[in-house]
Amino acid sequence: MISIYLQKESWIHRTPAGFKLLAVAIASLLLFQVKSIWIFLPCLAVVLGLYASLGREGLAQLKLLRGLTMFLVILLALHWVSGTFWEGVAIIMRLIVLFLAANLVSITTRMDDMLEVIQPLFKPLQLFGLSSRKPALGVTLVLRFAPHMLQVFSILREAYQARTGARGSWRLLAPFAIQSLRMSDNVAEALKARGGSQGLSR
Amino acid sequence: MADRSLVHVAFYAALIAALGLVPPVAIPFLGGVPITAQTLGVMLAGVMLGPVRGGLAVLLFLFLVALGAPILAGGRGGLGVFATPSVGFLIGWPVGAFVAGWIMNSMKGTNILVAAAVSAVVGGIGVVYAFGIPGVAYVAGLSLSKAAIGSAIYIPGDLVKVVITAIVTQTVARGLPGAVFTRT
Amino acid sequence: MALWPNKRRKETARVCDANASPFAVFENVGLTIGQRKILEGLTLSLDERRIGVIGLNGSGKSTFIRMLNGLRTPDTGDLKLFGAGFAEAEQELPHHVGFVFQNPDHQAIFPTVEEEIAFGLTQLGADKAESRIRALEFLERHGCAELATSPIAELSEGQKQLICILAVLVMEPRLLVLDEPMTSLDALASRRIRDKLLSLPQKIVMVSHDLSHFEGFDRILWLEDGRLRMDGNPHEVLAAYCRDIDGRSGIKMELAAL
Repeated sequence: MISIYLQKESWIHRTPAGFKLLAVAIASLLLFQVKSIWIFLPCLAVVLGLYASLGREGLAQLKLLRGLTMFLVILLALHWVSGTFWEGVAIIMRLIVLFLAANLVSITTRMDDMLEVIQPLFKPLQLFGLSSRKPALGVTLVLRFAPHMLQVFSILREAYQARTGARGSWRLLAPFAIQSLRMSDNVAEALKARGGSQGLSR
Repeated sequence: MADRSLVHVAFYAALIAALGLVPPVAIPFLGGVPITAQTLGVMLAGVMLGPVRGGLAVLLFLFLVALGAPILAGGRGGLGVFATPSVGFLIGWPVGAFVAGWIMNSMKGTNILVAAAVSAVVGGIGVVYAFGIPGVAYVAGLSLSKAAIGSAIYIPGDLVKVVITAIVTQTVARGLPGAVFTRT
Repeated sequence: MALWPNKRRKETARVCDANASPFAVFENVGLTIGQRKILEGLTLSLDERRIGVIGLNGSGKSTFIRMLNGLRTPDTGDLKLFGAGFAEAEQELPHHVGFVFQNPDHQAIFPTVEEEIAFGLTQLGADKAESRIRALEFLERHGCAELATSPIAELSEGQKQLICILAVLVMEPRLLVLDEPMTSLDALASRRIRDKLLSLPQKIVMVSHDLSHFEGFDRILWLEDGRLRMDGNPHEVLAAYCRDIDGRSGIKMELAAL
């Protein structure tokens, strides 16, 4: 299954998913009330410590921050120009702490477990006559479609290349949509043939 | 037919994910700002599926991101992305898809190219930025105007996506009319 | 979801009789979509163990077999399935009638074999843990235990189709309906699938363009332009069908020669 999950045995992995999610949610709420570097510094140390406790692979996960670097540099420059340099530093630290904390949950919790924890939140759907299974089934279907779509697209691109010599074009998007939509109709029919998303409780 | 809806919602969520894999294109005359194809999927979801299913498709996509699937452009994913300055844009996506679908539905009489373009501009750009800019301002501690200027560099790329959305919608309407739910 | 059973569904009484004989009775059944008559004036009853359906593309075969599973609703005539009227039976049909599609890629939903099989069990109300255990047992019984954790996308075409058939069989249907299940398979794989099908206790209704797949069948229905053209024992119907095809292609050749 595609996920940023880090396959490993650790105490953070063993901590219940619900607890981890709750902890991050509370931390986010609290940290957004704070503006002082002197609070963010120990927070940053704690988060880095948590990553370190996962060992070498844990620390390697800090690479996820790389995508943010460019933005953080621009952000700091903007604050510097406006004369709020230290405020900018604090904001960047908050950003890094929250980002790392949230990601820590993602890399230490299996998607299935995450789904399981969230499932009860969908219970109210039943008030509208919808099955609370739908979100989970939706997730499965997305994961199923994504690779298939890439396959459809590569076949189209090959055919396009054979006829035009060009490697690809936005023109392929429409036939791609048509073909894969037709496939999705077949999938819908097959799902219905097995009782649909509501199931067939005896 | 509820199952068909669910499958279509999942289909567009997967489409948004697949478009995230398209390598970003840097357009020289736009100052080299990289544009990703992902918001094209958001526009298409709204314009093709209509407000409710279009919005749900984007929500389902974001749900997968939150569960840890690295399907945001650039291979990003996990709860962390909701702590970044992009969070406003992410929240704006489902609302934008909803609005785009709603406009598309209420322009049934209009030429499909025009209707799709207007829906994509208002929903996919207007609404998305209306959420995105305050998001940047809040998370990054900037003033709204600075955040707006910073975000505006992406608008030309988004306009390109509006054009593609309109053309794809029109082509699909000719090739598989039943798939454009906002026209049936 | 055992935790939050859908009450409305539980209260509906079962209307189908799994042992009904004949299992399907068509009386003047028809379906028109737009201007086109997809099926028209179909009157027959199905009871045999192995029934084949033949006809050219667009003859109504697909629509006909989809009615057996409730995937298509007739708009004229009277259709009784498993002793109940179509409208009442529709909800229960996926339980009694397993449907296997032509392209396994369009049928399998889950990433791995085990999850695909377990889905059928959760559909019948089993909880996640239980359905997983039963799915593994089921795979073992059918000699596919080693495939349990394999990603479906990585299986061979034959294996994929076999898993699709098993995913339907795990729901213990009385009838198995198959829409050209061997089309994408090579000769050996299609032979294996056919042997598997013939070994099953389920009744079978199968569409195929390859007439050799009907070996061992009890009855063949030949549809043409939405009507039943011929119905009878395989020997006679298949022979007549072949003569018809030969005749038509002869005419076409002459026309082309002019």
